[in-house]
Amino acid sequence: MKNILLIGLFVATVLCSPFVVSPYYATLVITMFGYSIALMGLNLLFGYGGLLSLGHAMFMAIGAYTVGVLGSKMGINSFEVHLLAAASVSGLIAAVLGALCARYTTIYFSMLTLAFGMIFHSFLFKFYNLTGGETGISVARPSLFGHAFSEISKTRFLTGPFYWYSLVLFLVLFALMALIVKSPFGQALRAARDNPQKTEFLGVPVLRVRYVAFVVSAVYCAIGGAILAVSIGAADPELAFWTQSGNIVFILVLGGLGQLFGPLVGSATFALLQDFLMANTQYWRFAFGALLAIIIVVAPRGVVGLLARGFGGRR
Amino acid sequence: MEMLLRARDLTKRYGTFVALNNVSFDVTKGEVVAVVGPNGAGKTTLVNTLAGLHVPDAGDVLFEGRSVVTLPPAARARRGLARSFQLVSVYPSFTVSEMVAVGAFSRRGRTFNMLRPASWFEPERSEIASVVEAFGLSHRLDTLCSALSQGEKKLADIASAMTLRPRLILLDEPTSGIASSDKHRIMERLLAATESLGVESLVLVEHDMELIARYATRVIGLRAGEIVADLPPSQFFGDPDVIESIVGKVPGHAHG
Amino acid sequence: MAFANVLFAAIFSAAVLFLVTAGLQLVFGVQRIVNLTAGSVYALGAYFGASAFDWVVVRGGSPLLLLPVLAIAGLLAGQIGFVIERVLRLVYERDEAFQLLMTFAFVLMLQDFLRAIWGAQPRIMGDLPDVYGALGIGEFRFPVYNAVVILCSLSIGLLLWWFVEGTRLGHIVRATAENKAMSEAMGVDTKKVTTLIFVLGSVLGTVGGALVIPTTAASLEMPSALIVEAFAVVVIGGLGSMRGALFGAVIVGGMRAIALSYFPEMEIMAIYLVVVAVLFARPYGLFGKAVS
Repeated sequence: MKNILLIGLFVATVLCSPFVVSPYYATLVITMFGYSIALMGLNLLFGYGGLLSLGHAMFMAIGAYTVGVLGSKMGINSFEVHLLAAASVSGLIAAVLGALCARYTTIYFSMLTLAFGMIFHSFLFKFYNLTGGETGISVARPSLFGHAFSEISKTRFLTGPFYWYSLVLFLVLFALMALIVKSPFGQALRAARDNPQKTEFLGVPVLRVRYVAFVVSAVYCAIGGAILAVSIGAADPELAFWTQSGNIVFILVLGGLGQLFGPLVGSATFALLQDFLMANTQYWRFAFGALLAIIIVVAPRGVVGLLARGFGGRR
Repeated sequence: MEMLLRARDLTKRYGTFVALNNVSFDVTKGEVVAVVGPNGAGKTTLVNTLAGLHVPDAGDVLFEGRSVVTLPPAARARRGLARSFQLVSVYPSFTVSEMVAVGAFSRRGRTFNMLRPASWFEPERSEIASVVEAFGLSHRLDTLCSALSQGEKKLADIASAMTLRPRLILLDEPTSGIASSDKHRIMERLLAATESLGVESLVLVEHDMELIARYATRVIGLRAGEIVADLPPSQFFGDPDVIESIVGKVPGHAHG
Repeated sequence: MAFANVLFAAIFSAAVLFLVTAGLQLVFGVQRIVNLTAGSVYALGAYFGASAFDWVVVRGGSPLLLLPVLAIAGLLAGQIGFVIERVLRLVYERDEAFQLLMTFAFVLMLQDFLRAIWGAQPRIMGDLPDVYGALGIGEFRFPVYNAVVILCSLSIGLLLWWFVEGTRLGHIVRATAENKAMSEAMGVDTKKVTTLIFVLGSVLGTVGGALVIPTTAASLEMPSALIVEAFAVVVIGGLGSMRGALFGAVIVGGMRAIALSYFPEMEIMAIYLVVVAVLFARPYGLFGKAVS
């Protein structure tokens, strides 16, 4: 019952936003979609797979820069092409990196992913002809299904056609992730997290399962990054910095690690929280750090866990 | 008689310490082979080597006539050679049916199926139900493993390996941690369930001599990495020299 | 003789890296925690050292007090380890990923802490490495200060080695690292041991940062730059191994100096190419063991 209520609330909010709230908040909802999608990927790898990556922001950056490079540098405006390219490039890079990293568990895995994320970050500076170096690339708005919507203003584009596009993309990807999590693969992944040795003895090739989760999570992050790039209007090398990877893990843990609704709830909470904090203090990083510490100790299942407890159920 | 599992001249060293020294034996269809010996004799190393966790320094492991010594545990499991652990290993956050499902899917090669919910796969569903029923756990199908009693966890643990339809299963101290009063019940349930599910032979490491005397068809005595005896229980327990070198007491005698 | 300069720079880099990663290895060896705050406390040591020296000079102290002031400043700044450890203690029983995340929470907090006290502009100390003069033959010259820092690092390394292998307390620490439960059963106050080790690790980091500040700028990017290099050292050398820290520091310090002289933009990539190469040959580093 409570699930339906919350979903209903969510649907109502999301459907009404473009009409009811100011464009600023409507755009905020789009960033929420973008982060949610990226976090769904991270949730698969970390929440269900148990592998803490401190470099996944690099895949979000790949998504953002793919949109920027294709759009601004190569004049290709179709967002569908952008998405396909973002997915392919990130998938390819993840396929290579994953082959090295997935054989390690938590500690080495985290260290290696952090390191490779930072190497990618330095790439973004080095190849400044392609990536715009320190200043990044500005991202022009893409065309959706062939329509450029050039007759309406940028704001109207974001709160109008692009809003609905992102919403549908989000719903589709959410449904897909829900399937993946409940599928035999999802179960094998969780089993590999809880007891890798037993899972091997049950006939599951644990390394391969983790590898696949790594690649899928990278693709999700890239798509999320692409959406964010459009709504922000820029691709920036700081997107790939390791603290950004840490931040997205923070948002996920805030929402609820290993919970299906964790990414969504986390992004929503974070978007509101960040908005509020940044307006009121310049020390928002400190606030986030403190919040992360508190959540780890007090509410490891995040807001979703708290909500579940609040409604009297146990998860 | 069909030879199911063959260990041939298995040798395993850790530095200068020899854990297994030219261990050879066959297991044919229909046997319940108990492996006994003092602590440090190499029983767990033997089971681990047969299961694929260790690669022996010399020797071979053959299953169904084919060498499996280079195969990792997951591959051996899919071939029909399964193993369970001494310490109960269940997935605390899984229900019994979810845990048993893992092997069911892996056997059918469906581990990487990502696009349908696991509960929609029909042949697996009935298989899980029948396996769980054979172990007497049908009423616990949707219970979280963390909520099971110790004996139930043991059975569920072994049940999870059964969906692999193994022909032979290696058990490392299956009744350890179970109260003595429950041991016989668990053992009987275990043997009945595995037999009904098509397991043809068992190799088990066990310390409880009464259980061995009652249920095993053959006893292999291991000491310092070498086999010192390989006999049916009546002969094994009837030979005082063998007993002394391995066990220290004969079953049936009252002990303090 | 440019090569000699590069060599010297390499040894200097290696010396500082060794100090900091020794701290990382200690904490990991005993507590199985990868301490992401190593970079933050390093920066803290640098900033605090710079401020401490300014404070001394303003009060008429001689610039020759540079080394002792920095060393003491480093020691003092390292006391922050007490605070961090106390909070970290709350997650000792939890999954390693959460422990790692907890250290990340501190990285965030420390970042703003540094910014709040010292601002966003980098701090440079000026021409101080020459305060003790420099030695040189022809093109090859090196400041005495740098040489002294190298000696300090070596001595601290030896001290640590003596402490861990030769003293009773070190023996207790090793036992706790090996088997915490058993040590407790034998009456060891493992809480005190973990606090000691963590603070020691932090002090090594802050002292490293303080000693290095005359030769570089303190900035808010310092923590991240250090973490990336420290991780390279620790992965190459093997987590938890002091010998690994030494070898890794030499390799990374060397690569860094070479890269800075000949292909500066490729510095990190070059270092991590070496990391990947080492991992192919030795999956857990030169002296590491598989972490289960």
